[in-house]
Amino acid sequence: MDTFNKRTALVVKILLWTAIAAFFIWGFSQGMFRQIYEQPGLFLELLGEHVLIIFASGFAAVLIAVPLGIFVTRPAFRRTEWFIVTVANLGQTIPSLAVLALAMGVLGIGVEAAILALFVYSLLPILQNTIAGLDSVDENTKDAARGMGLTNLQILWKVELPNAVVSIIAGIRTALVINIGTAALAYLVGAGGLGVWIFTGIRLFDNSYLISGAVPVTLLAIAVDLLFRYLERVLTPKGLILAREANEA
Amino acid sequence: MIQFDNVNKVYEGDVKAINNVDLTVPDGEMVILIGPSGCGKTTLLRMVNQLETISSGSILLNGEDVTTLDKIEMRRKIGYVIQSNGLFPNMTIEQNMMIVPQLLGWDRAKKRDRFNYLMDLIGLNPDEFKKRFPHELSGGQQQRIGVARALAADPPVMLMDEPFGALDPIIRARLQEEFLQIQREVKKTILFVSHDIDEAVKMGDKIVLLRDGEVMQYDTPAEILNHPKNEFVNEFVGSDRVLKSMSLYTVKDLYKAFTLKPNFESKDIRTINEDTSLRVAISMILNQEADQLVIEDNEGNNHGSLTMDLLEQFLHKEIKGQEG
Repeated sequence: MDTFNKRTALVVKILLWTAIAAFFIWGFSQGMFRQIYEQPGLFLELLGEHVLIIFASGFAAVLIAVPLGIFVTRPAFRRTEWFIVTVANLGQTIPSLAVLALAMGVLGIGVEAAILALFVYSLLPILQNTIAGLDSVDENTKDAARGMGLTNLQILWKVELPNAVVSIIAGIRTALVINIGTAALAYLVGAGGLGVWIFTGIRLFDNSYLISGAVPVTLLAIAVDLLFRYLERVLTPKGLILAREANEA
Repeated sequence: MIQFDNVNKVYEGDVKAINNVDLTVPDGEMVILIGPSGCGKTTLLRMVNQLETISSGSILLNGEDVTTLDKIEMRRKIGYVIQSNGLFPNMTIEQNMMIVPQLLGWDRAKKRDRFNYLMDLIGLNPDEFKKRFPHELSGGQQQRIGVARALAADPPVMLMDEPFGALDPIIRARLQEEFLQIQREVKKTILFVSHDIDEAVKMGDKIVLLRDGEVMQYDTPAEILNHPKNEFVNEFVGSDRVLKSMSLYTVKDLYKAFTLKPNFESKDIRTINEDTSLRVAISMILNQEADQLVIEDNEGNNHGSLTMDLLEQFLHKEIKGQEG
């Protein structure tokens, strides 16, 4: 069964990579990526806008959502959790286009509106993962820490956060990857980004614009995902990796 | 010294978790809190280091009311061990063990010396384990580290909440032995929660038997086993209490109590060491390993032979005798 699964996985992998290679060969032979090398200045500008929107909104969301997650998991403020999570949930339930439109209503046309919209959109995954990470810390471990005379701040800093860091980074990764796709809509509120080429391509029925915009967005999402998976690995305390392995064994 | 002075804990709705507890844990002694689940033994323990509040009455730690002390400072002076060891998975063994000394601002050399000393005390190689993490260790090793961590800043008082409860019986017995050895050396004032009467008899200088937050009996293990104060205590210690009480005596106590003639007609006779508990001696006889066992002291001298008859006489003299 195990070797069968492995073989299936291998076949799927080969097929996938072949398909991807075929797509790129087709794309280049048809000149589908020509917008990138014909207008490299514009491409870099759009990419830069895209990256700016994502990271500015993501950074702001981390600054708000992580402390908020810490706040609602303090026993004294626990009862605020449902309220805050519900509000964050609201941001997530409204379709991304509508959030963009609302943000435009507040800040007008431009990059700021896109950043605000994506910021709202990123809050929930980061908040929820922060809460889940902090909640997953063993009660007994916290009890031992309290009993030994660690202050609440020391418990948070030395015990809770190191043990929650994997989950928090995973939340940030999820938020950013979703945002990279959503940021393509930023064009609609006049914030630029690679969405400009995607929408141009759709309107002109010109696949070269479409693909020159869409493929870099996809690659960006994959790159960010990989980067954060790497960060997760590097930032996880070694003892926790061993703990996870021990639990899986 | 820990003194409980008319201590009560009442939850909302008038549920009394702890009811008028009055007792003293003398310096250097290990007192076991025992009772059925829900009797309040863990609550009582946690009231000492203020993890639980006290509704009325007072708990004095070396004469000072715990509620008047700074919580954080006080807890750092009390060793705390819990059942599931509570080690921090993100820290190395050394960091785990030196957490309180670290908080107290010890310098590096002092911490290193203390770490090495404690590791020797619990029988683990300091250099081998220093940089390892809790999850690389076996359950028994983790619990040893948990105990050593509580001893790290050399606190005069220790609170232990079923420290060996999660271990398998063989490892548990070994850790109990080891801890008794350690206690003989460090002589801490210890409050120890257990749900296992055998453990309580083995470890405790005194035993507190609780029911519904009330002290049923506070006595030495021998008194609790031989003279249960009421029906509840009698039932709790079990109808084999006589057998249990035999584990409090050794073969040496027996031959000291009688004048026995050395036995030299050694045909095919088994010997028994003087430090063996009488409980084991009875079981050896019942097991028909031999009709009589020749008592040997640690130098190999013959102190006569042990028979079922003699055990019965001892039982009457030592245990029943006290009743009359």
